[in-house]
Amino acid sequence: MSDAPYLQPAFERPAEAAQQTFRAALRALAEPGLARPLPPTPTLERLAPATYALCLSLLDADTPVWLAPAFDTPVVRANLSFHCGCPVVERREQAAFAVLDAGDLADLSGFPLGSERYPDQSCTLLVQLERLDGGEPVAWQGPGIAGQRQVDLPLPGHFWKQRDLNGDFPRGLDVFFTAGQALLGLPRSTRCLAPIREAS
Amino acid sequence: MNALHSQAPASETGDEYAFAYLDEQTKRMIRRGLLKAVAIPGYQVPFGGREMPLPYGWGTGGMQVTAAILGGDDVLKVIDQGADDTTNAVSIRRFFSRTAGVATTTRTPEATVIQTRHRVPETPLSNDQILVFQVPIPEPLRFIEPAETETRTMHALRDYGVMHVKLYEDIATFGHIATAYAYPVTVDDRYVMDPSPIPKFDNPKLDMNPALMLFGAGREKRLYAVPPYTRVVSLDFEDHPFAVQRWDECCAVCGSRDSFLDELIIDDAGGKRFVCSDTDYCRQRQQETGQ
Repeated sequence: MSDAPYLQPAFERPAEAAQQTFRAALRALAEPGLARPLPPTPTLERLAPATYALCLSLLDADTPVWLAPAFDTPVVRANLSFHCGCPVVERREQAAFAVLDAGDLADLSGFPLGSERYPDQSCTLLVQLERLDGGEPVAWQGPGIAGQRQVDLPLPGHFWKQRDLNGDFPRGLDVFFTAGQALLGLPRSTRCLAPIREAS
Repeated sequence: MNALHSQAPASETGDEYAFAYLDEQTKRMIRRGLLKAVAIPGYQVPFGGREMPLPYGWGTGGMQVTAAILGGDDVLKVIDQGADDTTNAVSIRRFFSRTAGVATTTRTPEATVIQTRHRVPETPLSNDQILVFQVPIPEPLRFIEPAETETRTMHALRDYGVMHVKLYEDIATFGHIATAYAYPVTVDDRYVMDPSPIPKFDNPKLDMNPALMLFGAGREKRLYAVPPYTRVVSLDFEDHPFAVQRWDECCAVCGSRDSFLDELIIDDAGGKRFVCSDTDYCRQRQQETGQ
């Protein structure tokens, strides 16, 4: 076991780091659009520290996870199995969590959206980006936002259409965007207005 | 469990408990439930509630939420009917000070996590604070419809007409809406929610509050949440608008005319006084006015 080449380190202090990561995630979802820092975490191949930290703190044997092809490697599978004990599933319909990158946002179909009676039985998306700003500003409104918040995530335009297609409140997808050591939440309750065209 | 090499001690506090009593797997389950609760404001998320070392009705739901969110650098305040010094508040505060080793306080502004039974503190909360409510019966429709399958459907269909019928029956019987606590609210224009048995005096404080509010029901095993800056509207009628309790008297100790007052019988002749239910607020006012 000790010479297993795949296994890589995770949280140094698991209970503490998992709690700090969760609190950042809770705050990110409670106040959509504000980037939150996460405790230092190693990277796992293409999984950025923030993405890996969310996996380590939220996934376990009760949470089937779906990996986008870019992240679906033997090393990622081995380490998620070892550190979290989560099953990796092939079909989106089975997933409680899904790990995606910007290239996967053209099609968000297939993930569980929950039912009208149990909207909580939906998939949570962890979307890894290069950065959490620098894109086209979009006005966000709703719970957690006093008034309106301009958020400039670098997202392809079709993401917003996909989000509308795959959500009919209270059913819908909750998204954590991650980049480096930071994360930003977009719960289904947030109303995102059409992208604002800049005058220039 | 996540550590590859190190065998981390069961607890940072050096005693026999896992940090904040619950095991890591249970905390993860509650945490995932809380994230869904925040994403669907006012919706009741079922969770695998654990048995806590005290009976249902003493705040087991709130304690499980507190245990799941608490970190080593948090400062915890616990109130019961507004008071820091009642049995329930003292024992829950001691429980977390023993099992998590966290700092505790009775001052509202100093706390990062406030667990409460039946009150919202008078002192305005900040954006950095989390308020955890202990909830006995999370389902506002339960007194009208006992079947969970039915109330689920009613929530799904936004079939909330019966809530207004219940309030109307108050008006028909008493001439005004007599419901004084656990007064139903609509969260973000969607879900009707039981704000826990807080007096309706506290309902306006839920609306657009900067603090995150989490609700835990231990016996019924439900979690729900109101994110910061969320619209929370008390149900009412155009000709019988929502109104909170008012007193002709002021607090006998600090003289406050703005806080929720408890009525105390002080002698055998039925003499009575009114005092603030929020002990920290009252003490703070006494210091300010130099009484």
